This record gives sequence, structure tokens and C-alpha cells, in this order.
Amino acid sequence: MALLFVLPAVLLLLSLTIYPLIRTLALSVVQLELSVSPNEKFVGLTNFIKVLTGDSRFWNAMGNTAVLVVVGVAIQLVLGMTLALMAQQMGRGRTIWVTLFLIPIMIAPVVSGFQFRVIFNDTFGPLNYIIEKLTNGVIQPPAWTANPDTSLLTIMMTDVWQWAPFMMLLILAGLESISPELLEAAKVDGANAWQLFWRIKLPLLMSVIIIGLLIRMMDTFKTFDLVVLLTNGGPGDSSETIAYYTYLNGFQFFSMGYTAAMAFIQLIVIIIISRVFLSIQKRQRGADE
Amino acid sequence: MKSNRTTLRIVIGLFLTVALVFFLFPVLWMFLTSFKTQDQIFASPPVIIPPRDQWNLDNYIGALTGSGGLQAVRDSLIVSISTALISVGVGSLAAYSLARYRLGGDQFSFWILSTRMFPPVASAIPLFLIFRQLKWIDTYWALILCNTIFNLPFAIWLLKGFIEDLPVELEESALIDGTSVFGAFWRITLPLISPGLVTALLFTFVFTWNEFMFALLMTRRAVRPLTVMIQSLAGGHEILWAQIAASGVIAIIPGILLVIFLQRYIVRGLTMGALKY
Repeated sequence: MALLFVLPAVLLLLSLTIYPLIRTLALSVVQLELSVSPNEKFVGLTNFIKVLTGDSRFWNAMGNTAVLVVVGVAIQLVLGMTLALMAQQMGRGRTIWVTLFLIPIMIAPVVSGFQFRVIFNDTFGPLNYIIEKLTNGVIQPPAWTANPDTSLLTIMMTDVWQWAPFMMLLILAGLESISPELLEAAKVDGANAWQLFWRIKLPLLMSVIIIGLLIRMMDTFKTFDLVVLLTNGGPGDSSETIAYYTYLNGFQFFSMGYTAAMAFIQLIVIIIISRVFLSIQKRQRGADE
Repeated sequence: MKSNRTTLRIVIGLFLTVALVFFLFPVLWMFLTSFKTQDQIFASPPVIIPPRDQWNLDNYIGALTGSGGLQAVRDSLIVSISTALISVGVGSLAAYSLARYRLGGDQFSFWILSTRMFPPVASAIPLFLIFRQLKWIDTYWALILCNTIFNLPFAIWLLKGFIEDLPVELEESALIDGTSVFGAFWRITLPLISPGLVTALLFTFVFTWNEFMFALLMTRRAVRPLTVMIQSLAGGHEILWAQIAASGVIAIIPGILLVIFLQRYIVRGLTMGALKY
């Protein structure tokens, strides 16, 4: 009976994940240029070697993605932590604060990308207008999305805007589950606010932070929508993420075999990241007990 | 001491207000933009609040009728509602057997979870090739199935947590009274986890509503969800900023409603039940 219950889900997931996985693996060792011909030609590991050793644009996209995953998510964590610590001081009224802060989380990335394209626009966007007014025209703000030095930054800022509130929410929930007696006892023993944070709150928040980081890093690794809406990967390839570059290869250049190899490499990266996190979490759990 | 505390609160309140302005400004700006004329958008200094007589729904009507917006809303609704129903329907059954019979143990549960971590772009290529063979590209089914891959594991994990919170004795006593396993599930478990079902339905709905990559890759002309419409309008030659802003406002309504009405379960939802605050 239990088997019967789980059967529909397993069949769906098998057909929609395992089969594509096998198909991807099979594709990754052939050459299939759909724009040229529908015929597959076996090429062995050539695709993998070409991606890893001969494709500088792949490594550029990986680097850009790493910046978003490491720097962007770190900013989200610090900002979220600061906001959570502040919101906790607001007493009963904090529910309303939190609700307002949560609004960005559930907005479609396509829409947040559009919002920031308007804001960053160099001819009529409000951001550059404000910068010029505040500095009396001394600072000439850049054309954010059209400048190779700032294009990746616009994607990062939009992602931070959307997801720092998520970190805030998680950490606030974690803070509220710390027993007040524990903090009271530490205060009686003479701990100041600084010590309370570093010695008591932060260690107790670690498991929440790890889950938050895992979720955010996984999702940021897949960043695609924001790239399409804000910069299309440009100018040049200055803001291409790995998901976007994979999309270009598969659905603009139609090199299916090559794209499959690239997709498989990403899958391995994702698995490594999640394994690292799960082992950290396990050790953390051991330390908590 | 008391006044110290009040001062602290006022200072922190000020900081939070500044932060809140930063986090709400983009949404507010889009909202204001949706009432502007094309001239006002390009005006310098910028028009912040459009004049009073201009607060009408022209841009909204334009967005819905002019560029296939109404069809886009309909397509998004069909795909999101179907995905939510399939994910929660199939997911609740699976969650029950995982929670109550520990079917396949932790490894099996984790396999289900890990399917959600797949980079969508990696599964997009084989799925695209399969759907092309089946001639399903540009149909609702292709989109519903793609979205189900990522929402089904979510629904299973979320509901599994809700079922594990219930005391197993309720079902056991029903089973002793002669109810079938399915009867116990249907008449006892499901009603008791209704908050979980609502949470799972609304989250899967909004996730699908907001989804963009599959919507872009698996559709052409016959099906065109809202996110694809917004992207294609924003990527065109003559960009009708105000109308896109109006479509954007329409597109964020379900998400904002979810945040307001489901706040109690939002941490649980966003972490797939990993955190039960």
C-alpha cells in the first residue's frame, strides 16, 4: 500500500529526472549540431575536454557565477543578519516590519530584473539622477548595465535586493528560538552586547545560517532570468553566468552534445557544493548535541 | 535605563525605515511608472508622481489587450494551477508513505530532495528533445511537466514535515476500527494537514507563476506565459515602459498576496520544511 502511494511520484520523478540525466550523459559523448543536421556522431570525451581546456568563455561564465555565489550571497548574509538583529529590537511591532521586508522575495525574477533595468537606465533611470543631484554633478555615474565594469554588479545588486530579506527572515526566526533565560544568564555573568552576539547568538544561529547559505548558493548558481532581463550577458561576455552560457550553446547555437557535457559538469559542481554543506551541517549537529 | 531603551528603538527604527525604503523603492517605482505616459518616463528631471488626472487604467488595459496580455495571464493561470494540483496531489500521497512507512529510508527521501537541486538548464536540453519528438513543444503539457519536476520534491518534503508533526495514534485507531489505509489518509490525515496543503498549493502556484526559463524554452506562440511576455516586450525595439510596468504589477500580485496571508508558514515553505519556525 505504501508503495502504491509513492508510485506516482516516483514514476514522475524518474521519467523527468533520471531519464533526462541518462539522455544528457549519452548526448555528452556525441556531436549533435541541430542547426546543421539531426545526426549524432560519437566523439568520446572530446566535448568534455573542449569545455574544460579550450573554452575560455566557459571559464569566464564560471568565474562570473562564482562572484555572484560567493560575494553576492555573503552580502545577503551580512545584510540579512544586520536587519534581523535590528528588527528583533522592535518588540511587538516587528511583524509588520517583517511583512514589508518580505515583499521582494516572492516577486518573479523577470519582474525584479525589469524594475532594476528601469532604475539603472542611464538616460532616465532614477539612480543616476539621484547620484548626480547629490554630488552636484561631480560624479558622473556609469551606464550601469551597458558598462563591462558594472554589468555583473547590476545582476548582483538585484539578487541581493531580492534575497537579503530571505536571510533576514531565517535569522530572525533563529534568533527568536534562542531561550531568553540563556541570554539573561550571560548578562548576569557580565557579558556585553558584543560578547552576547559572538559567543552565544552566532553559534546558536549556525545551523540556520548553513541552511540559508546552501539554499541561496544553489539558487544563485542557476542565475538566468536576471541576466536575460538586465544585460543579456553583455557587454561582450562580461556578465554571462554559467546557466546563461549553457542556454546560449543549447538554444541559440544548438550544439546539443557540447551543451550536454557542459550541463553535466555543472551537475557535478552542484553535487560537490551540496555534499560539502551537508557534511558541515552534520558536524554542526554533532557540536550542538 | 528606560529612556535609553526608547532612544535605541528610535535609532534602530530610523535605520530600518531607510532600509525599507531601499527594499520597497523598486516596487514603488514600477507601480508609479505604470501610470506614466511615454513622455513622462523620459522626462528630465524625472516625473515622480504622475498628475492626478492620469491615475487611470490605460496602461493596464493596453498591456492586457494590446500585446496579448490577457492570453498570457490565462496561460500562466492554467500552467500554475495545474502544476500546483498535480504536485500537491501526487506529493501528498508520496509524503504520507515516506513519513509513515519510512519507505526507502533517508536515502530515498534525499534522492527526492536532490532532484530539486538539478540545474534547470541541464534538464532543459533532454526534455526539449523529448518534447520535440512528442510534438509537445508549445503546449501546456510541456510546461506543466517541466514545472512539476521542481515543485513535486518541494511539495513532498513540505508535506512530509506536516504529516510527521501529527500523532500517529489518530490513524492507528482508525485502522483498528476497520478503515482502509487510504481511508485513514483521506479522512484523517488530509483534513488535519490542511494548513500544509494550502501552504504547498500556494507556494507551488507562485513558483510556477514566476518561473521563466522553461516558459521561454518550451513555448513558441500558442502558449505564452506572463514572464515570457514581459521579457519579450522588454527586449523589443520600441520599449513601452509603462505598459511593461503595468504587466509587472499584475505579475507580482500572487506573490505579494502569498507573503501577506501565509506569513506563518513562509520560513517553512522557503526552506522546504528544513526549518519549522
